[in-house]
Amino acid sequence: MIEFQQLKKVYNSGGQEVAALNGIDLLIKKGEIFGVIGFSGAGKSSLIRCVNWLEQPTSGKVIIDGKDLTALTSAQIREVKKNIGMVFQHFNLLNSKTVFANVAMPLLLSKVPKEEIKKQVTELLEFVGLSDKANYYPDQLSGGQKQRVGIARALATNPSILLCDEATSALDPQTTSSILELLRKINQEYAITILIITHEMAVIREICDRVAVIEAGKIIEEGTVFNVFSSPKTDTARNFVSSVMNDQIPDSIKEIIEKNDGLQKVFRIQFIGQTAGQPLLSQVAKKFDIHINVLFGNITELQGTPFGNLIVEFQGADREINRALMYINQEKVSIKEVKAHAS
Amino acid sequence: MLVNFDQIIEALIETVQMVGFSLLFSAILGLPLGILLVVTRKGHLLENLPVFNVINGIINIFRSVPFIILMVAIIPITRFIVGTSIGTAAAVVPLVFYAGPYIARLIENSLLEVDPGVLEAAQAMGATPAQVIFRFLIPEALSSLVLAFTIATIGLVGASAMAGAVGGGGLGDLAITYGYQRFDTMVMLITVGILVVMVQGLQTFGNLFSKRIRRR
Repeated sequence: MIEFQQLKKVYNSGGQEVAALNGIDLLIKKGEIFGVIGFSGAGKSSLIRCVNWLEQPTSGKVIIDGKDLTALTSAQIREVKKNIGMVFQHFNLLNSKTVFANVAMPLLLSKVPKEEIKKQVTELLEFVGLSDKANYYPDQLSGGQKQRVGIARALATNPSILLCDEATSALDPQTTSSILELLRKINQEYAITILIITHEMAVIREICDRVAVIEAGKIIEEGTVFNVFSSPKTDTARNFVSSVMNDQIPDSIKEIIEKNDGLQKVFRIQFIGQTAGQPLLSQVAKKFDIHINVLFGNITELQGTPFGNLIVEFQGADREINRALMYINQEKVSIKEVKAHAS
Repeated sequence: MLVNFDQIIEALIETVQMVGFSLLFSAILGLPLGILLVVTRKGHLLENLPVFNVINGIINIFRSVPFIILMVAIIPITRFIVGTSIGTAAAVVPLVFYAGPYIARLIENSLLEVDPGVLEAAQAMGATPAQVIFRFLIPEALSSLVLAFTIATIGLVGASAMAGAVGGGGLGDLAITYGYQRFDTMVMLITVGILVVMVQGLQTFGNLFSKRIRRR
């Protein structure tokens, strides 16, 4: 469990005070995969680095499994750190050491006996799928393989928390999904709490349970991935969501709507979960005297729940259209009119 | 030729001794100073600006005094340590005062090249400052440190020849007393030839050794 209470971090750059974190309150539950997303400079990096004391907050508290880090001595904090693994964007492996020695390093620091180290490192390398690369050097590996070494190293001390600092941002999309899959496997098999910070919404969608959006050092939105993706409340969140959800109306269709401004009735319908399985549109078309023209649509799966997005045009008398709208609203499906110059 | 083969061999041995001992003592002096110069600087592992500024200043002072002046200036210290100011052993003292600060700078440069991300990973693992230095910083810089020591050794070969001018013995002494002051061109050519071979050999060995460590 990780808890931030009124966390503030102020930097002094050239006589000017810059607040990287401006009062963060956040609770990350044991065993969950929690994502923090934000643009660069939003403060997400400072936030994750406060968890393992790579940065010390100016004020506020960081509580790890019930221990308030601000109240500990540096020796005690080093012990807490051994319970927190960290994976970095640029891997940060020792280039002068083999894969085996890199993974063994945290154990060596804890003075674990040689035999035990050999056994554990062999197991870890097997877990991340790099058994055959034990005697390679990092510069002989691909980016994805290096990150697997980084993950194995982070897991060496058998931590209860894993921090991922943009862990997939330097990798190509295919490698990213294989690394995310590995992270999910770690979360499930070892019940490790994972905190991920990223600027890639796809990463959040792929594996996170809950997400927080950070902007200007503040958490501006927080919730389950499903809630934030299906109904983002802030512009920044909407921006991130649309970067992966593809729910923007394509320009060609926007043009049509603009051309016939006011003449057409265009709506955006959002289906969530079970409602996505109902033949709603065909029911509406049968019940009411209107024609339905689908302009654009897609269905995405979010945490195992289907989430659909349709842009439709209703053709018919205003009275019939209004009745149809009322009917759709009763079905607990969100419907909103789309006007020209808006999306 | 005014010198015989045995004298040349003797001078060579003296030079090797001078360079060897002064390298050893300057490394003992320069290595910790170089490490301190890195870890006490702003934003580093053991940030401590007073310590950094003092070491930095003292090193600059020693590095700005020309070696030939330094040699004469510290004669009282040399006498105090060795008991005399003439001879091979006496030459080692100014050589250490010359090469120690130089090695500290070279080591500082090598250590600064280490990826800060690696040190961050070390700290994230809960490594103590000593573990960060000896398990991460130095191993990662090792190949570059070997090259730094190669440069320092070659610098010492040159400086040891200069030490010959004030009675330090060695090849430099031979070259100056016989080759220069008595116009014996042959002695001059032989001593310079030996020095050239020494420097070439040292650099080649240093490069090979460094490459072996880097493992590419």
